[in-house]
Amino acid sequence: MKIREITVVSGKGGTGKTSITAALAASAPGGLALCDADVDAPDLEILLHPEPREEHAFIGMDTAGVDSQRCIGCGRCRDVCRFDAIRMEGGKARVDKTFCEGCAACTLVCPVGCIAMEETRQGTWFVGETGFGPMVHARLNPGGENSGMLVQLVRKEARRVAESRGLGTILTDGPPGIACPAISAVTGADTALIITEPTISGEHDLLRVAELCRRFGTKAAVVLNKADLSAQGAERIKEACRKEGLPLLASIPFIPGVVHAVSQARIPLAELEEFLGPTWDRLKGL
Amino acid sequence: MAERPLTVAVASGKGGTGKSCVAASLLVTVPGLLGADVDVEEPNLALLLGAEAISSSLVEIPWPVIDDALCDRCGECVKNCRFGALLMFGGGAPVPNDLCHGCGVCSMVCPRKAITEVGRPVGEVRLCRRGDLRLYEGRLHVGMPNPVPVIDAALRAALAEGRDLVIDSPPGTSCPMVSAVREADVVVLVTEPTPFGYADLDLALQVIRELGKPAMAVVNRCDLGDADIEGLTERYGVPVAARLPFSRAVAESYAAGNPPAATDALWRDAMVTLWERAKEMAGR
Ligand code: SF4
Ligand code: SF4
Repeated sequence: MKIREITVVSGKGGTGKTSITAALAASAPGGLALCDADVDAPDLEILLHPEPREEHAFIGMDTAGVDSQRCIGCGRCRDVCRFDAIRMEGGKARVDKTFCEGCAACTLVCPVGCIAMEETRQGTWFVGETGFGPMVHARLNPGGENSGMLVQLVRKEARRVAESRGLGTILTDGPPGIACPAISAVTGADTALIITEPTISGEHDLLRVAELCRRFGTKAAVVLNKADLSAQGAERIKEACRKEGLPLLASIPFIPGVVHAVSQARIPLAELEEFLGPTWDRLKGL
Repeated sequence: MAERPLTVAVASGKGGTGKSCVAASLLVTVPGLLGADVDVEEPNLALLLGAEAISSSLVEIPWPVIDDALCDRCGECVKNCRFGALLMFGGGAPVPNDLCHGCGVCSMVCPRKAITEVGRPVGEVRLCRRGDLRLYEGRLHVGMPNPVPVIDAALRAALAEGRDLVIDSPPGTSCPMVSAVREADVVVLVTEPTPFGYADLDLALQVIRELGKPAMAVVNRCDLGDADIEGLTERYGVPVAARLPFSRAVAESYAAGNPPAATDALWRDAMVTLWERAKEMAGR
């Protein structure tokens, strides 16, 4: 069976991506696996309350570790590191794991061989069970590295779970932005569903994610949220969608009840109901 | 003696809490501030301020070039590249791909010195202006994976001016956010009292504590939710410096591209307080 993956993205944060993802999950027409790939701010669990089933360490790229007993403080490692990850402190090299990209250049220049690459835990990933299907989610350690790798990992695991249970759709809550995590989230997905809002920054960010999807060969579609906050802004988003050939699947007004539901950690299902069915229908028709 | 300039980073664990609104509002309220938009994946500050780019410079990272005549296909570079960024096909010299981080390991290990480096553009830094207001905007090229070199370049340009500076940081809590806030004297964390805002603020506060930065919080749309933000920030010893209610008028004017402080007196007062407290915290 072919599994279809829909990744919800937004470019700009705060457009309502996670609330809409949760409501789509709760209204899905068929069997579904869920994936939270916003590993920096993993909020989908707040609405879907997964029952924990599995917990695993996420080991990212190896990073450099200095044996300070043997370090002679020459500073060559600091000079060769292009990611500014090494500082000399009290005459010893110290690696800032947040910035170490794991290239190992420092190990190649250390004259006493006191730097080694070591396994580094960068976060945790989970499998849980929600009322709407299994869910794979993760949390990057604050200040952690390799979020793109973790995004790939949760997507792969969600696919494995979907395959083993014969579920035809994966719904993924993607990361904001357009860099490594976003690239890792849209590459290979069947559809990127872009949630935007009728602001000039919403329009600007929409165009950048849409271009990203085009580059990585992922078909994109748009949901305009809080559409009535600016009639002019909404017109501009519609115009941008027409020009870019992006199907606009739904226009949702600003509904205070959605904020209210989210505040109570509840899925805004009743509040969004009338928009969800048509969105699923149009998603299918793409 | 002139006071040392003050650098304030405006950040938020979660995107869309109003971080850029706070940064833009500070810039239009407090006279004489310089801006730096280092939310380079989605730079919005110039748009919000109606500022136009007056100059631009490219940000480049090193990119390996392999001299086909010198390369004897030993494969040392391929073996040492930890990103899988060099591949050899059908007897040709290795070819770099988009996974390249520009770390320089391949040129270090090549026994035949066949690898040199050229600059590869990954983004740009624009100087933008509206009237007296100026800001540096970092802008990552679409398709490039790593925002950090662009963040660093924009910050370097802004810090070089030696003026009071407001940084609009990337959202999240991973290395882009840390790169932006590590240069600041004081961090302002913008949040909202929803469970999302609460959870993401908790992560951001952990990062700020680890960096040892003085910080304060701004609760935006403080009437749209009842998560106990004060209780959370108190645990980290971080004060709440302002609470701003949801206002449809503010949301509409934001949609049209005006920062809240341009239309709302409450926001203006809050920005004055914010800046004063930041100065106190930094001991200026
Ligand atoms: S492994 Fe690379 S990025 Fe990490 S500290 Fe060493 S030189 Fe820097
Ligand atoms: S510069 Fe570093 S990442 Fe790029 S190809 Fe060479 S070894 Fe690989």
